[in-house]
Amino acid sequence: MSDMPKRITLQEWDLRYEQLSKTGAYQPDYGGPLSRHVEGGDQRLLKLRFDNSAAALRLWNFLLTEEDRLHEARTAGRKIVGTMKDLGTVPVMAYSFEDIVAFYPDGAWWIPCVMELGAGLLEIADSLGIDESFCPVRAMLGAFVTGAHFPIPDMLICSVGATCDDFSAIAQRLNGLGHPVFWWEIPHRRNPEPDEPAVNLPGGFSAPKCQVEFVKSQLERIKAALEELAGEKLDERKLSAGIQKANQVRRLLTELRKLAFTAERCPLPSLEMLIAEMLAIHFCSDRQETIVVLKELLNEVKNRVSAGNGVLDADAARIFWVNPVADLQVMNLLEDCGGRICGTEYLFTHALDEIPEDLPPLEALAQTALADPMAGSSIDRAQRICTDIELFGAEAVLISRIPGASHCALEGRIISEIVQETFDIPVLEIEVPPVTDSMRPTLNTRLQALVETVKSRCQTSLRKRRR
Amino acid sequence: MICAGIDAGSRAIKIILIDTENMQVIAKGLADQGVEQDKLSLALFKSVLEKHGINKKDVATIVATGYGRNAVSIADTTITEITCHAVGVHHLLPDSMTIIDIGGQDSKLMRLDNDGRVRDFAMNDRCAAGTGRFLEVVAERLGVKLEALGKLAANSTNPAAISSMCVVFAETEITGLLASGTAREDIVAGVQASIAARIISMAGRSAEPPVIFTGGVAMVSGMADAMQNALGQNVSICPDPQMTGALGAAILASKQLKKANA
Repeated sequence: MSDMPKRITLQEWDLRYEQLSKTGAYQPDYGGPLSRHVEGGDQRLLKLRFDNSAAALRLWNFLLTEEDRLHEARTAGRKIVGTMKDLGTVPVMAYSFEDIVAFYPDGAWWIPCVMELGAGLLEIADSLGIDESFCPVRAMLGAFVTGAHFPIPDMLICSVGATCDDFSAIAQRLNGLGHPVFWWEIPHRRNPEPDEPAVNLPGGFSAPKCQVEFVKSQLERIKAALEELAGEKLDERKLSAGIQKANQVRRLLTELRKLAFTAERCPLPSLEMLIAEMLAIHFCSDRQETIVVLKELLNEVKNRVSAGNGVLDADAARIFWVNPVADLQVMNLLEDCGGRICGTEYLFTHALDEIPEDLPPLEALAQTALADPMAGSSIDRAQRICTDIELFGAEAVLISRIPGASHCALEGRIISEIVQETFDIPVLEIEVPPVTDSMRPTLNTRLQALVETVKSRCQTSLRKRRR
Repeated sequence: MICAGIDAGSRAIKIILIDTENMQVIAKGLADQGVEQDKLSLALFKSVLEKHGINKKDVATIVATGYGRNAVSIADTTITEITCHAVGVHHLLPDSMTIIDIGGQDSKLMRLDNDGRVRDFAMNDRCAAGTGRFLEVVAERLGVKLEALGKLAANSTNPAAISSMCVVFAETEITGLLASGTAREDIVAGVQASIAARIISMAGRSAEPPVIFTGGVAMVSGMADAMQNALGQNVSICPDPQMTGALGAAILASKQLKKANA
């Protein structure tokens, strides 16, 4: 099998794995053929297409063995913290402790997709009164009930306030099931009044100083709770070291995104990019290994870009993707239709921005937490998206709605209008449930039409330039 | 040479053959869609050829479009109905700037540039509200033929308010309206207005005139008026609206052929 970059099936990965093994390619302890995860019920993998690099194999294996790492942590007596909703802030604190491992139980929202509804998690959520009018994160409830996916955390920490209403309802239901949640509040970020002391936040936003102070006080509460759990003090030195490590991850991702999204030919498929980006928020339960995995992936991308190689056609339509998808296969579908991802906004752009290192660490974390796209208005989000569209040269925007997610109800129209006013590029909204098999033809039409529209517009502008 | 466009829609299959020299339509055909989409497309294609005495080998390129386009095995390539409708409408009405297309299963709004290319588009969600299927359900529930809906609506004096955007719920609502003695005319007018409002909501900021209405539902009388009222501007029905997708596909097939021969 050729070493040229391409997307391959799971079966093709088995052959490739054998080939890599014969060459003596290094395998981490969680390595192995990808198809072994199907035996554990991850049926969706059989329908996905994967990047064929060893770096991508390591990335996928790293992701798909997170539950094993959590169980090992439990066996080793380390404390496990389930962080919910805030996407990227609490894990930075948690990983600053020697013996705490943090993860996002919310990540269970992908189990119905990956196991093709086989785990029955959504049915359990239904039976608990959290039906399909709520976001697929409700699968998390099922995962807590069955205990089959991750160890029950020693502590649960969840942000409320400027978060999705449906998520709060899901977390409250979890609390009601006997899993006590440590709640902390993130306020809705607002613009400072003209005479109000203001703070410039990462990501180009600003907020009143009092809001930053409030978030800082909330983080102090979390810090105290974590200290009690760990039986260890978290001094400024340790927290600063944790921030520096998190920033190392964020810098790697910034470089990876810039390189992958602006390259002439797409060097890495969208699924691998999605998984890589997600590492910024949860470190896949091993922060140090996250850095190693990302470095390897970045090297692969650098090599491909410098060689002018890519995994998709050179004329692929450059699409900016908004919101993560409940069904991973839809990202493959865009590529099958002739598109590529050039820019993403998966609701955690603040976790991709560096945390200021020249500030007291809690102040820096508070500022970063307040820069969360979910904490601000949809207009703020749209403006950040516009900044990134310009940076990455996207030619269209695809907004992928999450069924039941309260934030999705109105944001699409706002983002769409602002993007169209700014760039006059096509914006398409689609809804993606956890398994889209029955909707494939209609999704295919929408994505194909978006790609056709982009390509047709390119031809028009080329023709005008020639005149 | 001859090129063909096959629009395999959710409710009907449409075929148009054009002479690539003068881009004139030389044959067309229409048949109901069914389960065996490929077989039905092929049968219609053969019957159109036979009826017009055209030999299959004279058809140089075939482009399939529509919901079932990927099932059409005789097609050389597929292009979405969004692009095909735009090309078809632009061919017939070159000044068109906005196209509303309502088919059996989905509805779309397309904005064009001055060259007739799609600038951007919006489509309905996966539910059938605002589509031809919605009208079919209503006609069935009221015990009238689809063609008669327009005449009924024209006699409405007090259109009913249909608040639901879901076919299933709307059907329940219609049952309630019938039970409360609301006239069928008022129910139909209310349904048409609700579909129009649904479509117009896709227009977002604006619908640049001229606005052209195409797709099978454009043939249902009263729908264009409902659309016009909702939009507050003139809406013209495209000539032979059910066939514009197939026409666009045939034109694009011709362009592909010319490009390949260049």
